[in-house]
Amino acid sequence: MVSRYRLVAAAITAIFIASACSGATPSSAPASVAPAPSATVAEPAPSASAAGQDFTGVTVELLTFNGPQIAEPLQRRAPDFEALTGAKINVVAVGFQEIYDKAILDLSTGTNSFDAFVFNPQWLGDFTGPGYLEDLTSRVESDPVVDWQDVGPFFRDFNATYGGKVYTIPLDGDFHMVYYRSDLIDTPPKTWDDYLAVAAEHHGKDLNGDGEPDYGSCIAKKKGQQSFWWIISVAGGLLQSKGTGEGAFFDTTTMQPLLNNEAFAKALDTYKKTMDFGPPDEINLGVGDTRGLFTTGRCALSMDWGDIGTLALDPATSTVQDKVGAVITPGWTQTLDRATGKLVACDATTCPNAVDGVNYAPFASFGGWSGAINAAAAQEKKDAAYAFLAYMSAPAQSSEDVTLGKTGFNPYRTSHFETRDVWKAVGMSDQAADNYLGAIEASLQNPNMVLDLRIPKTKEYEQDVLDVAVSQYIAGELNAEETMQQITDGWNQITDQVGRDAQLKAYQDSLGVQR
Amino acid sequence: MANPLRRRSPLDISPAAKLVSYVLLIGWSFIVLFPLYWLAVTSLKLPVDVDRGPFYLPFVDFQPTLAAWRNILFELGDDTLRPYVNTIVVGLSSAGLALVLGSTAAYALVRFTYRPRVGLIALGAVCVAAAYGAILGGVPWQLAAVSGVAVFALLAQAVARRSRGTLANDDIAFWLISQRILPPIAIVIPLYVLFQQVGLLDTQLALVLTYVAANVPIVVWLMRDYFMALPVELEEAAAVDGASVYRIVRSVVLPIAVPGLVATFLITLIFAWNEYLIAVVLSSAKAQTMPLLVAAQDATRGPQWWAMSVLVLIMIVPVIIMAVVLERYISRGILVGAVKG
Amino acid sequence: MASSGRPLDLDPRGVTNPDVTRGPRLHRRAILSLGGGWRSDAAARWVFIWPTVVVILFLSIFPLVASLTLAFSELVFARGRIEVDFVGLQNFQILLFGTERTHLLGLLKPPTPLGWVIFGLGLTVILRSLVGSLTGGHVRPLGALLRIAGAVLAAGLLWLVVQTLFSEGGRPGSLVVTMIYVFAGIVVQFLLGLGLALLAVQPLAGRRFFRIVFMLPLTITPIGVGYMFRMMTDTGKGPLEPIFGLLGMGQYTWVTDPWAARIAVIIGDTWQWTPFVFIVLLAALEGLDQEVREAAFVDGASHRQSFWHITVPAILPVSTTIVLIRLIEGFKIVDMPNILTGGGPGTATQSLTLQAYLDWRTLNLGRSAAIAYILLFLVTVIATGYVAWWRRRIRPV
Repeated sequence: MVSRYRLVAAAITAIFIASACSGATPSSAPASVAPAPSATVAEPAPSASAAGQDFTGVTVELLTFNGPQIAEPLQRRAPDFEALTGAKINVVAVGFQEIYDKAILDLSTGTNSFDAFVFNPQWLGDFTGPGYLEDLTSRVESDPVVDWQDVGPFFRDFNATYGGKVYTIPLDGDFHMVYYRSDLIDTPPKTWDDYLAVAAEHHGKDLNGDGEPDYGSCIAKKKGQQSFWWIISVAGGLLQSKGTGEGAFFDTTTMQPLLNNEAFAKALDTYKKTMDFGPPDEINLGVGDTRGLFTTGRCALSMDWGDIGTLALDPATSTVQDKVGAVITPGWTQTLDRATGKLVACDATTCPNAVDGVNYAPFASFGGWSGAINAAAAQEKKDAAYAFLAYMSAPAQSSEDVTLGKTGFNPYRTSHFETRDVWKAVGMSDQAADNYLGAIEASLQNPNMVLDLRIPKTKEYEQDVLDVAVSQYIAGELNAEETMQQITDGWNQITDQVGRDAQLKAYQDSLGVQR
Repeated sequence: MANPLRRRSPLDISPAAKLVSYVLLIGWSFIVLFPLYWLAVTSLKLPVDVDRGPFYLPFVDFQPTLAAWRNILFELGDDTLRPYVNTIVVGLSSAGLALVLGSTAAYALVRFTYRPRVGLIALGAVCVAAAYGAILGGVPWQLAAVSGVAVFALLAQAVARRSRGTLANDDIAFWLISQRILPPIAIVIPLYVLFQQVGLLDTQLALVLTYVAANVPIVVWLMRDYFMALPVELEEAAAVDGASVYRIVRSVVLPIAVPGLVATFLITLIFAWNEYLIAVVLSSAKAQTMPLLVAAQDATRGPQWWAMSVLVLIMIVPVIIMAVVLERYISRGILVGAVKG
Repeated sequence: MASSGRPLDLDPRGVTNPDVTRGPRLHRRAILSLGGGWRSDAAARWVFIWPTVVVILFLSIFPLVASLTLAFSELVFARGRIEVDFVGLQNFQILLFGTERTHLLGLLKPPTPLGWVIFGLGLTVILRSLVGSLTGGHVRPLGALLRIAGAVLAAGLLWLVVQTLFSEGGRPGSLVVTMIYVFAGIVVQFLLGLGLALLAVQPLAGRRFFRIVFMLPLTITPIGVGYMFRMMTDTGKGPLEPIFGLLGMGQYTWVTDPWAARIAVIIGDTWQWTPFVFIVLLAALEGLDQEVREAAFVDGASHRQSFWHITVPAILPVSTTIVLIRLIEGFKIVDMPNILTGGGPGTATQSLTLQAYLDWRTLNLGRSAAIAYILLFLVTVIATGYVAWWRRRIRPV
């Protein structure tokens, strides 16, 4: 009996060692993802960019997320780029919820299967801390192709920058706006009180002529999706008034959460009130659902990223062509006095950035898909990856991509607003283009834009704590007090686990605060 | 034409009961098929037709389009084909392997006695724990593994002599099934590290190995019950005739166990075919499987219902074909034939 | 010998013969008594079992140990390495007593009078079965200790259920919600699957069609089933919308009502997993020796007698296995609530694995592993108790 065990033990060892030896070679590079042929693109756009450079024989593995958007323009333009420079770009696409885990695992274990990433700039805190990402500051400053000064100041100075260094190249501009039915609503809402009034006025009326009552406001409130971003949009004007650098999430001296005061209580209350004018199952709607509802004429108002503007143009997705207006996210005539935790009326001192007495604070939620480069990649791969990201972002290419609903890319450059031809080419009337681009421009030029959280463990702060608490609030499980307490406790717990000083430093870095 | 309600053998039920049976069977078929019909209809819709409200009949209340099918099958041709092939390869090979390993182990647990000694198991656990500790402490894993095994081999005899407690077949079986209790969410990251160490990330092999390990316990448990239900006399007769164990299993046991084998194979095939979480972590490009593609349709724009419907429909076609082909083996004609022949 | 109370008298030689179905012990004696070939073929017994054991050892034990380490750690992702910081019981402390307590255990409030009645009845049952198991036959000290611990745990779970479900203002956490899914799901799925298998085993024209159709839901990837049910249950643009309208519930939506949402999850889970029960039981029924049944009928047995005396004993072993497998798999439910509601409204439909998944996707692997280990502990206790119970009452394993 015993001898048998020993025999078996020896056999196991043999198997184990054999399998280890045969598998000891490092994992080979992932194979190519064939680029999706696209119906719309014809010639490779002429570009001063990459033309001069030769990357023949270099293959760049680029990780982004799987699906019909975002990866599409990358896959579509990769062959053009290869024709120009010889560099092969393999777009490796994984699920939206898993990119973060996969990228971090790949980098931290030293697998390094990816040379470049197109991901969420909110993760900069997690990625720059351990030094995963290449510093691109000198590259973008000297590169004519990327035309850095053309990138919107907010995206350039805040979104792409962390601790004073440039780490990402923006490919997409993301912030919330409010969309309204321009055929029904003459004066779009300026404040959230207006928003509720307009929503109440149109709720229960037939808005698209199908004989059924429709809704005043559609905001995607499903748990585990976008809830936590909308609530910050509603709260933005109440929380932040002195400019982007003030921050809307934490006190920049103590790292105490700012979400436990009269201001956030009011935001929660307003957020919940929008449900009175929404679809009955709004609590379970994701952004795909509310976009569908809005573009089929069932909602008078909706809050969304730039996507509705382009989706509303396409007859395959929309029945409300040329009936859609966009406006900067509504603001408030009050704001938080951080010393007392109470709301005070807006005046020249409390709200220096207010327009007509309304303190706007458009929220750059998510921040827009951005390209970054793995610091551990080989030099020629870094060069080729940078050239590709610059090529994608260059006005010649991006001006077209941001007008296409299917790309999921929204405007982020000054030139995107100036070249109206491309917008007309995709079917936007002059008036609609003025309205849509005007709202984007007004948001982007607002110095009080709210920067999304980008410190280490951002996902835990927002998706684990904020999202759950807000979902429990709108489902009636928690009242406002309990909700704010749960958020505060949860956030402080994460902060203390990582280290309060380190997180404070990171928060200041993310805001570009110099101290 | 024979009346389907007519009674044919003493085992048959009365016409009234037959009618009730048909009503129930058709009722449940409707419950099963209607969601699938809805998928098929949705795959023919434009986004705007999905969003505007429920439309049921193509051409009648909406104009169907093949846009989603064209997109998945042609525009994304290779990106659909590669995961499709992966799914087939991984599904079939892992289900086949799991069936072979699991059913032999199940047979062994039914017909042989095992008395593993508690002391040896404890020693093994200690060696494994020490080896992991050493790896975590920075010792190269090859060294830790070899020395762990060496220590085990050295001490095994001494421990075995002193320890009296033994476990039984039941305990082995329960140990096997208990490996499935922990949700995959807890083990995927360690698995990632494991396969990263041996350079098998993003390979079909990694997925096959993982699925075999995950599904073997289910095979063991299901097949154990089928084997237990088999009449032992046949095996005894064969043994008396001097047949070896292998021969008895091959020509006596397996043929009678075909219904169980087929059902179990289908179940493990389906489990491997549809697994998502392990696949998403262990594969990135080359080895991606179809469930990843389905999940990917819910992205920043919300679910792309039309594309998702196409993917789900093309995913179940091979499994249905397998089920149609294999279903006949779950019927008693074969069984009776095997026993008598 | 545990054959108490089972009718075994109908069949002298077939599958219900006690010497055959009583399991391995008697078998072995029967076979070993033949001597010769079986013993001398010594290699087979190792060749048959070791490959399985080795595969499991290498691919299950490492992750098991590693995730146990994770449960007591916090991970720091550095460049080229992952630092595993030991934090003791911190993850468990947060889950059981800290900020995650209400999400895991729920909001505990004093029970209502009905709650007290239920608790009293449940406690009586637990104590009676504990006393019964301690006094019936020879029990070793360790066994007695384990049974008492099991009873204490059962009473604790009962108290948790009563405080969250039968109390003023309490609400269940993911632990109790998961148990609702599992127990409701097993009962409904087993009964439906058994009924369908009995229907589909009859010699009816077209039965092949029904058999294939009934397997279909199992063939769809769970994620796909989740999205499909999200379409089906959409009260705005789903196919059932006109039915809601007809019932005068045009404005009704299940998504805001915790119980309606939980039932929606159970319906989806049942649609998907009933075929599993169906296919396994169908194979077992097909394996029944029909000659035995025919002989019984010739002897004048009724359908009901044949069902209880031939069919039930034959499918009982595999039924206990099905329940065990569904118990183990059911506790891991994640896709259906995740896709259908994201765990909402609030946390009403959040299962244990979904809670672990939410932590996992923010790379809070320590807490995620801690939840998984709480689940492991719970399921192991329940499964062990279940197996021990059926060993005593139904059959030796």
